[in-house]
Amino acid sequence: MDYRQLSQEILNRGKEKMEDLEVFIQNDKQIEIRIFKGEVDKYSISESGGLSLRGIANGKMGYSYTEKLDETSIDMLIDEAYENSKYIDSPDKEIIFEGSDKYEEFENSSSNLANTPAEEKIKFLLDLEREALTMDKRVASIQACAYQEFKSERYIMNTKGVDLADNNSGAFAYISVIVKDGEDTKTGMSFRIFKDLKEVDYKEMAKEAVEEGISMLGASPIKSDSYPIIFKNTVFADILAAFGSIFSADQVQKGLSLLKDKIGEKIATDIFTVVEDPFLPNGFYSKAFDDEGHKTIYKKIIDKGELKTYLYNLKTANKDGVESTGNGSRGSYKAPVTIAPTNVYVEKGDKTLEDLISSIDKGVYIISVQGLHSGLNPVSGDYSLSADGYEIENGKIKRPVNQITIAGNFFETLMDIEAIGNDLEFTIPMFGYIGSPSIKVKKLSVSGE
Amino acid sequence: MLSQKVIENVLSAALSKGGDFAEIFVEDKLCTNIRLVGGLIENNISGRDYGVGIRIFDKLNCIYAYTNDSSEENLIKVAKEAAAALNSATTDLTLNFLKGSPRDINPIKIIPSTVDKKKKVDLMKRAYEVAKNYDASISQVSINYLDDDQRVLIANTEGVMAEDRRVRTRFSVASVASKNGEMQQGFYGPGASMGFEFFEKINVEEVAREASRIANTMIDAEHCPSGVMPVIMDNEFGGVLFHEACGHGLEAAFVSKGTSVFANKLGQQVASSLVTAIDDGTIPNGWGSTNIDDEGTPTQKNVLIENGILKSYLIDKLNGRRMGMDSTGSGRRQSYKFAPTSRMNNTYIAAGNSSLEEIIANTEWGLYAKKLGGGSVNPATGDFNFAVMEGYLVENGKILKPVRGATLIGNGLKVLELIDMVGSELSLGQGMCGAESGSIPANVGQPPLRIKSLTVGGRKEDK
Repeated sequence: MDYRQLSQEILNRGKEKMEDLEVFIQNDKQIEIRIFKGEVDKYSISESGGLSLRGIANGKMGYSYTEKLDETSIDMLIDEAYENSKYIDSPDKEIIFEGSDKYEEFENSSSNLANTPAEEKIKFLLDLEREALTMDKRVASIQACAYQEFKSERYIMNTKGVDLADNNSGAFAYISVIVKDGEDTKTGMSFRIFKDLKEVDYKEMAKEAVEEGISMLGASPIKSDSYPIIFKNTVFADILAAFGSIFSADQVQKGLSLLKDKIGEKIATDIFTVVEDPFLPNGFYSKAFDDEGHKTIYKKIIDKGELKTYLYNLKTANKDGVESTGNGSRGSYKAPVTIAPTNVYVEKGDKTLEDLISSIDKGVYIISVQGLHSGLNPVSGDYSLSADGYEIENGKIKRPVNQITIAGNFFETLMDIEAIGNDLEFTIPMFGYIGSPSIKVKKLSVSGE
Repeated sequence: MLSQKVIENVLSAALSKGGDFAEIFVEDKLCTNIRLVGGLIENNISGRDYGVGIRIFDKLNCIYAYTNDSSEENLIKVAKEAAAALNSATTDLTLNFLKGSPRDINPIKIIPSTVDKKKKVDLMKRAYEVAKNYDASISQVSINYLDDDQRVLIANTEGVMAEDRRVRTRFSVASVASKNGEMQQGFYGPGASMGFEFFEKINVEEVAREASRIANTMIDAEHCPSGVMPVIMDNEFGGVLFHEACGHGLEAAFVSKGTSVFANKLGQQVASSLVTAIDDGTIPNGWGSTNIDDEGTPTQKNVLIENGILKSYLIDKLNGRRMGMDSTGSGRRQSYKFAPTSRMNNTYIAAGNSSLEEIIANTEWGLYAKKLGGGSVNPATGDFNFAVMEGYLVENGKILKPVRGATLIGNGLKVLELIDMVGSELSLGQGMCGAESGSIPANVGQPPLRIKSLTVGGRKEDK
């Protein structure tokens, strides 16, 4: 049975028990290749997917899902969704959407990856590993050398007439090297996100990872104090992504975001603007409609320091009496509708990274942070993260620094941004495709010696 | 779940182009997840995860494929596609399945799907009332109820044919305290390999009180100071220290490739002689316990470090080949979507002799980390970090005041040598551990212990 037929059957039968229903289907194809010492260490291929049903009975929404996609699952899906709806007592109005008038048409470059033979992908990794291993005699081994490719199809059909489908594809490659000098062991990594393997220069990737590792040899902590800080572009993007929930209308309405009642107020310095562009060419989360079938919208979330909007799905928008911003999201078919960003970036400034560094007498340039899932609290805004980087002295990079933490409060950090680089870069997509230029912050607490 | 005939045909197809080992992993899992926010049930989702993973080894190379479609025709197609990556001669296959003697270390009394959802919802509402009314500072409470009922079948060309059923239940409360435009969060989330009888063992009101107590304590706390100082870590989730600082580095996935700081150190002193560390997949009804691992090997109790000497690693089949060592029953995976690799089950530092009071009384100045949050490690360097959820400054042998926002960083090899006091009251805490083979339930644990000096990353008081 094809998906459309199966979905129609579920909706038809579900109508007997529930007022309105929606089917959400996601299908993924993935390839993962890992190389170790010149051989394919792991080669993984998959094709899988799942179907989620949600339906409204007596004004309440129930959810169910299955990965066993056949006719035998239909009754279970409807019964479970109906049963689950009975226990919902949130008074918020649930909506199965009738569809937007118009969806943006935009150029979302399709990837060429499916037509690239597996041998070329393997050769790319072998070249990358060999290049990194032979680049410097201090390269001791390769911690990881991997390629991952995905193709994801999305399909939404409901009893209000929405019938939408799209697909997305891409790949990323990364390498992590271990360098040694005597007992001193450090690691360096680099990654690329792409839609065409030809865009990726393995020599450049190997060089970046090896140079990062070697530059960290001999690193030691810096004296505990407050210092001006420069965040590497992708590091600030990672931190912004980890704090992404502060912009969610759902968190705001539940009193879990300190941005409550801050629309129209200044929450960051004048030079700081954050844009969401769902139509970004080559954006990994580019799409014309969200997971509720609502059209996506280009917008500024923060404009010159002023908070312009939260991110809404249908339910939270209805509650605030505004339009959905097209940010309704299912983490997967296993999850209920929540709110998530698409492609979001900090607008670039006019300074080069060198300009930023040369503006500091004594400070730290942070090139990586660890513990984003634990050392950071989106509710309070507090963060304390393990970090590596370089000490800056008299406008120049002086030496590598490790085993330090940087700590602050994100809401204060936004007000302390002094300069923004012109080197916008996107980080590995996790919950949205998030980018930032290098960012200079007035000061943060650094704990070291 | 699949007939023996189908399994044989799929394994044969998997070795049709060479390879010396093939495995099939079948998973059928029912999940229920209910979420309450602000006293109201907001989401209630249930579903069925279902799929099959096929793995082939050719010496040290691994090929993995998975699918949702378990028809024999499709499984053979997938097995052949996976095999095509090898492209050498067919391996002759004689299959003689040995069904291991079944054991049941996680006896289940009440299968969650047989329990009326109303009972689950009632528990959540009871807990909410207690958490919300704990103190006027508590501004928001979220509660999650989760139960899983996972059935697996694992068969391989070594003759393993094993089935297991893993039932798990978890109940977690997150409380937020607000004052003067600031917010702090407290979390407590016990779980076990148990059915609904779990709620005879735990008291949801106590779970709720604990989450709110932490939030309410931390909202009045000052920022933690920065610097290097002695750190006392309490039991239960304090065990995340060993989990991050050392446990991951003992996983064969890193050791076998020489990319762990613990590689080539068996028999050597790697920790203070006060430290004995164990990973035990057989603790009855333990959060990280299973009868067999996800490669069909019975789980076991592995002594990793004994009185400071490194005794064993955590080993799965593939990395065991690389190391010339047997599996320790440590091959785990989140689901059929992941190839298994070496992981922890229930990992803890064994009890010593001191009481928590003695440890605090013997500390002139330092941090007492009562509750820890999550963390991470770079196994190649051993550098770790984790967050303190509830901390206190200790001065002259007494607890001085609560402090917030601290992160602890250090190096795994060094920190084990710096443990200078080990307490007697061992207890375990439940977590989800994320790594290459996905997110899996794992217990961490330890008695209270002291680390002579550790870098504490806090924020100095503003001006």
